[in-house]
Amino acid sequence: MTVAVSDRLSRLVMEHGLKPLAIAVCFVLVALIWTFPLQHVISYPFVFLFFGAIMGSAWFGGAVAGFMAVILSSGVIGYFFIPPFFSISIAKESRSFFAAFILCAIAITLVSSARKRAENAIRHARDELDAKVQERTAELVRSNLEIQESERQLRQLTEAIPQQIWRADAAGRIEHCNHHLRDYTGKTMDEMRGELFFQILHPEDARLYLQGWHAALATGNRFEEEARVRGADGTYRWFLVRSIPQRSEDGQIARWYGIHIDIEEQHRAQQNLILAQEDLSRLSRTMSMAEMAASIAHELNQPLTAVVTHAYACREWLQGEPANLEKASATAEKIVQESTRASVVVGRVRALFRKEAHVRELTSINRLIQEMARLMRDEAIRRDVSIRLELANDLPQLKMDPVQIQQVILNLVMNGMDAMMPLPRPREIIIRTEKYGGGILVAVEDQGLGITPETIERIFDPFFTTKPQGTGMGLAICRSILEAHDGKIWAGNSERGGATLQFTLPAES
Amino acid sequence: MTEMPTASSHARETVYIVDDDESIREGLSNFLEALGITSKCFATAEGFSAHWSEEMAGCLLLDARLPGIGGVDFQERLQKSGARIPIIFMTAHGDIPMVRKVMKAGAVEFLTKPFQKEELLHAVEQAFASDRARRKDEAILNSIRMRIDSLTPREREVMALVTAGLLNKQIAGELNLSEITVKMHRRQVMEKMRADSLADLVKMCERVKLGSKSIGSSK
Repeated sequence: MTVAVSDRLSRLVMEHGLKPLAIAVCFVLVALIWTFPLQHVISYPFVFLFFGAIMGSAWFGGAVAGFMAVILSSGVIGYFFIPPFFSISIAKESRSFFAAFILCAIAITLVSSARKRAENAIRHARDELDAKVQERTAELVRSNLEIQESERQLRQLTEAIPQQIWRADAAGRIEHCNHHLRDYTGKTMDEMRGELFFQILHPEDARLYLQGWHAALATGNRFEEEARVRGADGTYRWFLVRSIPQRSEDGQIARWYGIHIDIEEQHRAQQNLILAQEDLSRLSRTMSMAEMAASIAHELNQPLTAVVTHAYACREWLQGEPANLEKASATAEKIVQESTRASVVVGRVRALFRKEAHVRELTSINRLIQEMARLMRDEAIRRDVSIRLELANDLPQLKMDPVQIQQVILNLVMNGMDAMMPLPRPREIIIRTEKYGGGILVAVEDQGLGITPETIERIFDPFFTTKPQGTGMGLAICRSILEAHDGKIWAGNSERGGATLQFTLPAES
Repeated sequence: MTEMPTASSHARETVYIVDDDESIREGLSNFLEALGITSKCFATAEGFSAHWSEEMAGCLLLDARLPGIGGVDFQERLQKSGARIPIIFMTAHGDIPMVRKVMKAGAVEFLTKPFQKEELLHAVEQAFASDRARRKDEAILNSIRMRIDSLTPREREVMALVTAGLLNKQIAGELNLSEITVKMHRRQVMEKMRADSLADLVKMCERVKLGSKSIGSSK
């Protein structure tokens, strides 16, 4: 520690003491050597060389060296060149001259050292600038290389990922497709650029896909849609298309990145699952209906059996010889009691069905239908039927049980699909909504063979069915749901020949 | 064949109605009463069991679906206990396997509610007839048994060998008796058993053997 301190001290002494002193001594000595011969030629004290020495000392050694030079010069001049010569004392008449010399010398020192400092500062600043520029340039070169490298890696990545990827500009025009996507579709980049891209979609899925895509472009929300995409061999597979926007720093969407995920297998599995579930629910529905019917039948059969037996007995009492009127009348009373019991059972069954209609939510019928059309899409594809929606925009929201109303529409659409099953393609079902007074009218139109007049009369009757596996309850349930909503349902034929089932939901009473 | 006394002829033929539904019970008993047929009602099979005795004549009108023991199981249980009262089943919804099962087990009829008057009447008559025949059968069997009981051990031995088809001489050899003694025992047997001929005696013995097999030693 003391070593370090003494080391620092000695460097300080060297820097601020010995070095300036050496410089000052050197300059003053040079000035003195030149002044001696010149003093022989010039009569007055020749001190100008000393000014030079002071200036030099201050320039090269700083203010400290300058002042040392001033002191040395003053001493030398006072001793050698101001009378009395070779003496430190100064004659009275020379004092003012000597003082002027010292002042000048100090001034020179200050000016010179200040200049030197300024120059040093400038040089220093320039050096720093230089170094910085060099540093920046090196950085720039490096980051440029890095960018190139990462870009190359990114491109390799997008090509290496076993997924189909595309990029679109802010307006949604496809700019680039990776080679997986190009290989799958068998198209070149130019054949998929911009709007051409959508030609790889299945025509039936394209409309819904574009709706969603335009909505995503308008809102800037992420996009997700399932659609069939045509492969190079002309067959279609299901893909999940996902796209997210990339935003620039100001929040504007710069471009969209999209990925196609092959979900054909999942889709098929899901289809099978849905089919299995459908079968199951159909089975359980008929099972529970059969069970319910059996229990209702039993409940009713008991009092009916009693009624019939009592009635036989009553006749026997009356036909006896003589007729037993007392017994007959008591038996008739029993018949009344048992008949009443039977009608109580009927009333209880009705109450059981009425219990369910209580939920009422303010619902947009169009949204309900769109949601349902989405749910039914797979079933429609399976049956080769397309569902067209013609929805009016100015419909009021009404209070309804959304599940029940959806069940009604579902039932009507399924019936329509069933009706068109034996007919050749193209098969289409139109779901139409329009205003109806203050309420709403919903029409489901198919392109089947229509309904015969005899059928129209009975179509809403329970247990009436024209289908081999039908329960005959579908439309009867629809009607009871609509009656619970104060609505109406009726059937007819459209001018195109198919059946049209329409129902109305009134505005709130 | 000599005349046989008809046992328990004093028991009145009754329809025993077993149904969990009171109104059905009432209707049935009212109807039967109007026709002059006695009936008795039970809400459960267990109720009827508690009341049952061998002397009861008539038939059982049994609901196939009952709380507790069901009608079908009850039929099985009755048969195992040796009670051979005829059973008429009734149900609101009979399935074919069930009908087949109970008919195979000897049910008289299977009626579906609500039933026709004639159906019920016919079934009851049929059941009563079958019960009468059953009771007559049992009465004869009982009297034969009583006659066998009145034989001495030696007489029973002789009867067994006679009905097996052995000659008097052979029986005498078999039992170490004189032929005369055998003849005497044989006459006693024929008298006590009230048999007119050897064939009659053989028939009675066969009946007892069969009866013991089918009825067992119940009660």
